[in-house]
Amino acid sequence: MQLADTSLRDGNQSLWGATGLRTAHILEIAPVLNRVGFRALDFISSTAMGVAVRTHREDPWERIRLARAAMPDTPLQLIGTGFRFISWERAHPDVMRLVYECLVRAGISRFVVLDPTHDTDAMAANARMIRAADGTEIVAALTYTISAVHDDAFYAGIAAYAAASPDIDRAYIKDPAGLLTPERARTLIPAVRGQLRGKPLELHAHCTLGLSPLVYLTAPDLGVEVLQVACGALANGSSLPDAERIVANLRELGHTVPIDDRLLARVARYFDRLAAAESLPAGQPRQYDAAFTRHQVAGGVLTTLRRQLAELGLEAKFGAVMDEVSRVRAELGYPIMVTPFPQMVCGQALSNVLAGERYLVVPDQVIRYMLGSFGKPTAPVARDVLDRIMDRPRARELAAEPPPLSVAELRRRLPRGISDEELLLRFGMPGEEVDAMRAAGPAATRYNPDIQPVLRLLRELGSRPRLSRLVVTKGDFQLSLKGRENG
Amino acid sequence: MFRRILVANRGEIAARVIRTCRRLGIETVLTVAAADRGSLPASMADGTAGVASYLDVAGVVGAAVAAAADAVHPGYGFLAENPRLARACDAAGIVFIGPSAEVLEAAGDKLAAREHAAAAGVPVLPAWDAPAQDLEYPVLVKAAGGGGGRGLRAVSEPGQLDQAMAMASAEAAAAFGDPRVYLERLLSPARHVEVQLLGDGENVVHLGDRDCSVQRRYQKLVEEAPAPALSVRDDLRAAAVALGRHLKYRGLGTAEFLLDTERARFYFLEMNARIQVEHPVTEAVTGLDLVAEQIAIAEGRGLRYAQDDITLSGHAIECRINAEDPAAGFRPSPGRVTSAVFPAGPGIRVDTHVQAGSVVPPQYDSLLAKLVVSGASRTQALTRLRAALARCRIDGVATNTGLHAMLAASEEFAAGGVDTGYLGRWPDHAPQTVMDKSG
Repeated sequence: MQLADTSLRDGNQSLWGATGLRTAHILEIAPVLNRVGFRALDFISSTAMGVAVRTHREDPWERIRLARAAMPDTPLQLIGTGFRFISWERAHPDVMRLVYECLVRAGISRFVVLDPTHDTDAMAANARMIRAADGTEIVAALTYTISAVHDDAFYAGIAAYAAASPDIDRAYIKDPAGLLTPERARTLIPAVRGQLRGKPLELHAHCTLGLSPLVYLTAPDLGVEVLQVACGALANGSSLPDAERIVANLRELGHTVPIDDRLLARVARYFDRLAAAESLPAGQPRQYDAAFTRHQVAGGVLTTLRRQLAELGLEAKFGAVMDEVSRVRAELGYPIMVTPFPQMVCGQALSNVLAGERYLVVPDQVIRYMLGSFGKPTAPVARDVLDRIMDRPRARELAAEPPPLSVAELRRRLPRGISDEELLLRFGMPGEEVDAMRAAGPAATRYNPDIQPVLRLLRELGSRPRLSRLVVTKGDFQLSLKGRENG
Repeated sequence: MFRRILVANRGEIAARVIRTCRRLGIETVLTVAAADRGSLPASMADGTAGVASYLDVAGVVGAAVAAAADAVHPGYGFLAENPRLARACDAAGIVFIGPSAEVLEAAGDKLAAREHAAAAGVPVLPAWDAPAQDLEYPVLVKAAGGGGGRGLRAVSEPGQLDQAMAMASAEAAAAFGDPRVYLERLLSPARHVEVQLLGDGENVVHLGDRDCSVQRRYQKLVEEAPAPALSVRDDLRAAAVALGRHLKYRGLGTAEFLLDTERARFYFLEMNARIQVEHPVTEAVTGLDLVAEQIAIAEGRGLRYAQDDITLSGHAIECRINAEDPAAGFRPSPGRVTSAVFPAGPGIRVDTHVQAGSVVPPQYDSLLAKLVVSGASRTQALTRLRAALARCRIDGVATNTGLHAMLAASEEFAAGGVDTGYLGRWPDHAPQTVMDKSG
């Protein structure tokens, strides 16, 4: 039984809002991660690339290159929908082609193709484009949800399509909300596997409802070959099952797991120490929450929503917004709650609650969804909502929007002589963000969680030039420093 | 991939190798002779294995087998370039982290190495197997079986030759078990410059050059990268790579050259088929971890870099801080280190195996620590070096720190490009003066 680790991308996104990990955090543990025995690492998404620039002023392409050099033996994965890059707007296929070429050149070899409406033609086109860019391993996502249409036969159909596509190498059942129960796994997994014609199947189920650690134990006997996990503080909560626990449990059941326990523990403890040093929350085991099955919002989005409400001082509205999320989701035709739809549904629900009138304010994303920019909704959109939204002047403006710019057109508009990588960053985000990233210089590459408290102390002392006396006490140790008067 | 490596060495290089292994998640078992059981590297390693001697091939391989090590890292010195260890590892199914036994033989025999260099189109100095009519004085009597300054005798006139050869031969026999000596034209004044090579058996890249001209009795004392004021830099690097390719070199190695400072010509000196003491200066200007690169090659990976991927920036200088007394003819000064304070800060790195309480045993090399400073320019590196040396304090044993401080303050050294005779020309009292100054 093989494991793939998702700490660096999904763990960071689910528990730390995608902002927790910097390049140095990753590079410090990368050589060890490379030797644990993971089948692959879920490494980055276009969203995470944007966060690197915006939040940390770090070049995400350089991060990939450095990580690849430090982890030459473990494939690094990008997850994406194939229709956007950093920005939420649809990208020209030409731009996506360049994105994939640059990613492969930088060191990404494994790609998840994820179409949020399970549009198989879009999925195949995306996979074809990745293969043309020399992507080595292409994994189709079968995104699990509970609805009247998403039965075992539905997923078996997608699996059959993936099996027939020469550009798709394997598939995985992706359960972003952690809804899969052991009972359902026993019918769903064989149904999917039966159609995959020998292509390997992986399982990726979040711990949001506390179910996935149990589901994982049923998986090996049902023919799943790779389980996706996370390590230490980046496991559990709304992230993925804890690698150490899964390894121990699988072995207890008699399975062989090719993982170096000593190194796995070292990775897990590193993330524990990092979480403590950076005051980031460690994932905790979750209890079952029956209400969750109504809104189905994945961990990362929930964390972001909570943060947004807190920034507005409206934490108390969380319950009301979540109720509204269930209602909006139904009205919008039950989109699977996977990027970009949870953000879209939550954004609309937030607007509905904050404006005091439903659909008074409608984000562009929702209008674009109605216009079919993200494919065909799985079930029809509620008529009254559709009419109300499409009747707005903004809807007519967006419908009349020119098609996305090609690479050649972007080159004409952006500064001359910039690299492909910079061109893509400038396409995906405001130029000032990219300028600020460049001005910040190369990212740090070393990090030691254990000395962070001392560094913080020194920074704080440096910011207090008038301080004249310092006493540090730890156990029997005492350091006392006294400055000159007026010093 | 290696899970466990036996580190078959001691001192600062043992600590250095262990540090990289730890970063990579590789377990280490360190060979320890009786005198080193309480050493700092012994406490850093995940485990230790007692050996009677660091030169005991069977003992080292036996320890590797008993420890279930996947590979042996030999460091430098001791068995690092010994083809018997490479072969014994191979026979035991253990990877020797270094070149093949054949390359070790080719590089280890100085006469063979000269032939390879000539075959690769690399300039070599005129040499003679025995006294001959056409001998051009001054000549250097050199040991065929090994380097490191042992078995070397400079001869300036024919009358001294027989005795010098006899003494060199006796010294070589004792040091390398090989009494063969040969004669090479002595180049003076000359600089010692070298090129760091990395190869995977097919491809070879250079990681820039170094200057190691500050020497005493053929022992390097200060090294820097890149070599300052070097007009033949491109040709020198190209010659080194040509030699590496000719040898189908696998692993980390150094091509050493003598530079005729008057005619700006360089000549092959020797090939060191191992990591060098002075590797940190190259690490500072390339940003690479050379021990990690050795391990990667030994794990069977191809070279991870093309020449264009290697970028060299800034300048780095290393001082070898030895337990020796410059005022007493550099007499070794073993004993217990009562306190050891090393500098820290931007551009400062210290590779050491000593701390307060460490014992410096008399039977081994006297290297205590390597102080490595780097900066954006040589000037900045030198400024940092002077400040760092002033903050370096080791008590309990005599050290050459004061000598280094004086060197760093000297105008000639600051100008860059001193020759190998530079330190020897210092007035006798100079080191004493420095010792007084440093207290």
